Amino acid sequence: MFHWLEKNPFFFVSGVALVISFAGLIEIVPNFAEAARPIADLKPRTVLQLAGKEVYMKDNCIACHSQLIRPFKAETDRYGEYSLSGEYAYDRPFLWGSKRTGPDLHRVGRYRTTDWHENHMWNPPAIVPGSIMPAYRHMWKNTADIETAYAEAVTVKNAFHTPYGPEFKKGKDAWEKHKPKVLEDAKKIVADMKGTEGMSKEELMKQIDEGKVPEIVALIAYLNSLK
Amino acid sequence: MNSIQIKALGFAAILIIATIVVVTKMNIDVIHDSVNAITIGGAIAIATLTAAVAFKYIGQMKTDTASGELSEDNWDGIGEYKNELPSGWAYTFLAVFLWSMWYGLIGYPVWSYSQIGEYNEEVKAYQKKFEEVHKNADKETLQQMGESIFLVQCAPCHGNTGDGLSGKAQDFTKRMTKAQVLAVIKNGQNQLGYPMGAMPPGMASGEAAEKVAEWIANGAKGTPPAEFAVCASCHGADGKGNNGMAPNLTTYDLPLVQHVLEHGKKGIIGTMPAFKGRFTPVQEKALATYIQSLAN
Ligand code: HEC
Ligand code: HEC
Ligand code: HEC
Repeated sequence: MFHWLEKNPFFFVSGVALVISFAGLIEIVPNFAEAARPIADLKPRTVLQLAGKEVYMKDNCIACHSQLIRPFKAETDRYGEYSLSGEYAYDRPFLWGSKRTGPDLHRVGRYRTTDWHENHMWNPPAIVPGSIMPAYRHMWKNTADIETAYAEAVTVKNAFHTPYGPEFKKGKDAWEKHKPKVLEDAKKIVADMKGTEGMSKEELMKQIDEGKVPEIVALIAYLNSLK
Repeated sequence: MNSIQIKALGFAAILIIATIVVVTKMNIDVIHDSVNAITIGGAIAIATLTAAVAFKYIGQMKTDTASGELSEDNWDGIGEYKNELPSGWAYTFLAVFLWSMWYGLIGYPVWSYSQIGEYNEEVKAYQKKFEEVHKNADKETLQQMGESIFLVQCAPCHGNTGDGLSGKAQDFTKRMTKAQVLAVIKNGQNQLGYPMGAMPPGMASGEAAEKVAEWIANGAKGTPPAEFAVCASCHGADGKGNNGMAPNLTTYDLPLVQHVLEHGKKGIIGTMPAFKGRFTPVQEKALATYIQSLAN
């Protein structure tokens, strides 16, 4: 009875494709359309936080840390609420990761603080005995690229309508106008730092007064924004 | 019975015996755990099927000769018998087809399964059971529970022994240092959300402040110094916090731990994040019990 179907591969393949597409259409699309939107009150990252995110990517924290809390009790007990896709709407790229040598960091801003990160990034095993996380002391010496971070913010604003304010415009002038705001944010972070052997609080402040933001400050701003 | 059938039977028997040995040796709970039950069921089904197939078809292969009506399809002289679709297959196919239509058009859209829904139910059920089991937990249970929560959530800052990692967070082996108390007296404090509200700055100064701070830092033992009188109106004559109206200055009691967990705290040592909503009341009690035990 169905021999005609067997003998007509083109029709058969189209039929299979149709059936699978139908399943995809009703199972994937509605969910996707709903979940891909930014959740209410989601704010795009500030320039300082974006610069910190660049540091996070450059130093490849994603090799050991994920940023995605799955809806399992064991995970939500440890890290807090499970992640929603709408929370990553402004992350380009998102940093879900797939390897957990260290713990998940998607909500680390809720349960770790500036002074803790400062000590931990300087020397992890001194804070968490037996930690195999490497120390990142070069972050005290290197300067974060806040200008590129600003350019990134302007680009995503223009390309994807990420809701940055009207003051985010192309050009050197707009950046010079915005820069003091970034330095002010950086100072707020340093105010909560305690200083390590590597660099005292005063030295950090001095660098920022000179218009340079050490990478560690930007990174902590980013980690604090992971909430 | 021929030799292949015997081998197949032996194989099936070994499978069944191995399964039973593993289950009994490893002490696996088959009756109450559905996943285990399904796995064991599967193992036995495979063994049985192996035996049945061996019995029926291997014998048949040896004795059967080809017969039946040839279909009209013919490939270079190689023909094919007309075989009816086995009725079991046909019915299964129909059933799956009907089910998929139901699932695609009604089942999924209307009663859609959700991972989050399953998570919520699981957590709710667990929480209920947890509160019920530990409603009247004794001190030892609370202490153990407190320790395990502490090691995961608090130890990265307060240290595995609760000593505050030489000054990086609160040291739980004592209540407060002199410097901490003096800083609070000088600057006041308003972040813990006690019923008494804010502690105003400058409640004492100079020698009086020193004396009071010294007394608290030394563990608030014995009678407080006369200068503590100004503090007593809020913190109680014994410094124990007036039944939760203001912080207990002598020990980490439950209200203090609750207030700190809810609001976090920023002091001269550093910043403690808030853990609002992360713990159940029993867990908070457990944490307070454990932290108090660190002082001794
Ligand atoms: C070699 C793997 C590795 C790399 C690379 C790594 N980490 Fe870690 N990280 C760990 C491990 C293991 C821990 C757990 C022990 C600890 O807390 O030190 C950890 C812990 C942490 C924690 C504490 C989280 C918590 O919940 O306690 C933070 C924050 C963190 N890492 C940030 C970073 C950042 C930022 C980078 C990139 C600059 C980074 N890590 C790179 C392995 C790594
Ligand atoms: C008007 C009432 C009042 C008086 C008087 C008062 N306190 Fe307080 N005190 C409070 C309250 C309320 C808090 C909690 C503040 C908060 O929410 O952060 C507090 C907090 C403190 C803390 C910090 C406790 C902690 O765990 O963070 C110390 C130390 C303290 N008081 C010491 C003193 C001393 C010493 C005196 C006397 C010189 C004094 N207080 C007088 C109301 C008072
Ligand atoms: C990110 C680091 C960090 C984590 C995690 C942390 N704490 Fe703290 N905690 C601190 C710091 C820093 C202080 C001291 C604040 C100050 O007074 O300067 C503190 C102070 C406290 C105090 C004393 C508050 C007072 O007023 O005397 C209590 C109680 C406390 N923590 C309980 C906990 C418990 C319970 C946990 C685990 C659920 C925890 N902490 C996790 C950093 C942390």
